[in-house]
Amino acid sequence: MAIIETVELRKVFRSIVRSPGIAGAVRALFSREYEEKVAVDSVTMTLAEGELVGYLGPNGAGKSTTIKMLTGILVPTSGAIKVAGVVPHRNRQANAANIGVVFGQRSQLYWDLPLRESFELLRSIYDVPRDRYRQNMAHFSEILGLDEFMGTPVRQLSLGERMRGDFAAALLHDPKIVYLDEPTIGLDVEAKEAIREFVGRINRERGTTVILTTHDLADVERLSKRIILIDEGTVIYDGTLARLRTEYGTHRTLVVTLAETYEEFAVEGGEIESREGNIVKLRFNQRRLSAETMIRRLLDRYSVSDIAIIEPEIESIVRRIYREGYNESAVGSPS
Amino acid sequence: MRVAAGVYRQYWRINILTTLEYRENFLMWFAFTIVYHGAAIAALWIVLERFPSLNGWNFRDMAFLYGLWMLAHALHNTLFSAVGDVPEHVREGEFDRILVRPLDSLFQIIATPGQVFPDELMLALAYFGVATWYSGVHIDAMFVIFVPLIVFGGALIELGIGLIVSTLSFWFVRVDALIWIVVQLEQEFTRYPLGIYSRGVRLLLTFVCPFAFMNYFPASYFLHKPDNALGFPPIAGLLTPVIGCAFVILAYVFWRFGLNRYQGVGH
Repeated sequence: MAIIETVELRKVFRSIVRSPGIAGAVRALFSREYEEKVAVDSVTMTLAEGELVGYLGPNGAGKSTTIKMLTGILVPTSGAIKVAGVVPHRNRQANAANIGVVFGQRSQLYWDLPLRESFELLRSIYDVPRDRYRQNMAHFSEILGLDEFMGTPVRQLSLGERMRGDFAAALLHDPKIVYLDEPTIGLDVEAKEAIREFVGRINRERGTTVILTTHDLADVERLSKRIILIDEGTVIYDGTLARLRTEYGTHRTLVVTLAETYEEFAVEGGEIESREGNIVKLRFNQRRLSAETMIRRLLDRYSVSDIAIIEPEIESIVRRIYREGYNESAVGSPS
Repeated sequence: MRVAAGVYRQYWRINILTTLEYRENFLMWFAFTIVYHGAAIAALWIVLERFPSLNGWNFRDMAFLYGLWMLAHALHNTLFSAVGDVPEHVREGEFDRILVRPLDSLFQIIATPGQVFPDELMLALAYFGVATWYSGVHIDAMFVIFVPLIVFGGALIELGIGLIVSTLSFWFVRVDALIWIVVQLEQEFTRYPLGIYSRGVRLLLTFVCPFAFMNYFPASYFLHKPDNALGFPPIAGLLTPVIGCAFVILAYVFWRFGLNRYQGVGH
């Protein structure tokens, strides 16, 4: 069942044109010229209940604007949205009860108060029953390790601690849908891992639908099967990560540890990426050659003690798509 | 309603906790409040030393006029001052948060915890008691029933103005100049009887920014002064609660309209 549905969603911002410098600023006071900027051009997507989708795009592609329309913050210029049966901007309060939001760059916790007080206030705002509140807090504390800093004023928390608090705050009222906008930005490896673990568990155990926008593709690789790529306000890819990888990631790499030292090293169809001592990285086009063929050719000529295959990095695939555009016909041709 | 009441209770609990945590800051604000109102009253006294009567009002009358305004203003500051922070929330992008929570946006703004404490209100009550006695206003049933309503109505007038100015920040982001003008208009032009100003100012303070209903018209009623500014009958002084409610409803409609035009900052 579709829980989120948008049809040709569009948002155009209108802003005053300002020429540079003081003279320009003075001119703008008297003559008002407006400039229209299309932030989201046409986004059509359908999400089923319980999905975890990575929503990706370069800066300025329209990710945040889409999220703001889905959450009801912004009114779309045209197009249709329905989230859990509600049109978000027409019925903000009903929509708000169904959703949880984490903006990585902004906190919803109260700066001067101990973390516990923020949760108490949110409990009242969302009218969470006491038992449910206690259960959720116990569960979140266990995964996120909140107990250590529940009594600390939010302003004294580290970024990682604060983010963990923000996640618990967004999920306190058992929302059906959670929007995560750059949730791991600026976090260290350990905190990122804790957050990813948490998001994965909430999605699996509670069936919460999650939309995740991020710059860190490791978040997506770890968490979501499906990704939606947008560029210049339009969806350019919507499908599984695996399909993107096989269709678009043309090259794989073999990491070979040689058993002996060879002066010369070459395998037909393979390109040497790097060679350090006995470890060689060998890149090959997976459309032309299977891994099996490559390995056979390698073993025919050299004595090898270890082999590993590296899948194409999703990050480099995505970067390439932004550069060259996603093009179904380009998929088959070697690059 | 039950949910809102619970949130509101928590809001006050947090305010008091925060005030206690920053006790020095609170004491400095309290000292400032005393100096601020003290200076305003002293200024009135100096003017009335030179002109024993302004438009038929003497210092005793003006002390009462100021007391009525101070009480309404203090009530506004205690209950609704957070509305003035909306432009700042909009500019810093914090306002988005309000729109993704399941309570009315205006209620959420009013119930944003800060460092609010009813100190100014207590000071205003004390001053109003003294000013009433000093001015010789007769305390009868009408006084007891209407003064609380008028004070609340006056606070609503101030809320309405603040809400309209804050709504403008959805379009213009920065509205500091307008805030400054409105604050000056309210503080400077509520201290003297309306009749001393030019016709344009009288009309402005009655029909556009109805600050004259916060204190001038009600004070005229209780002091039995004829209105020589616009020739209103004395009963106009009892209209403040109605005007306050109507004005806030109007401002709220504008606020809701503005919410649908809200573009956020930095898309």
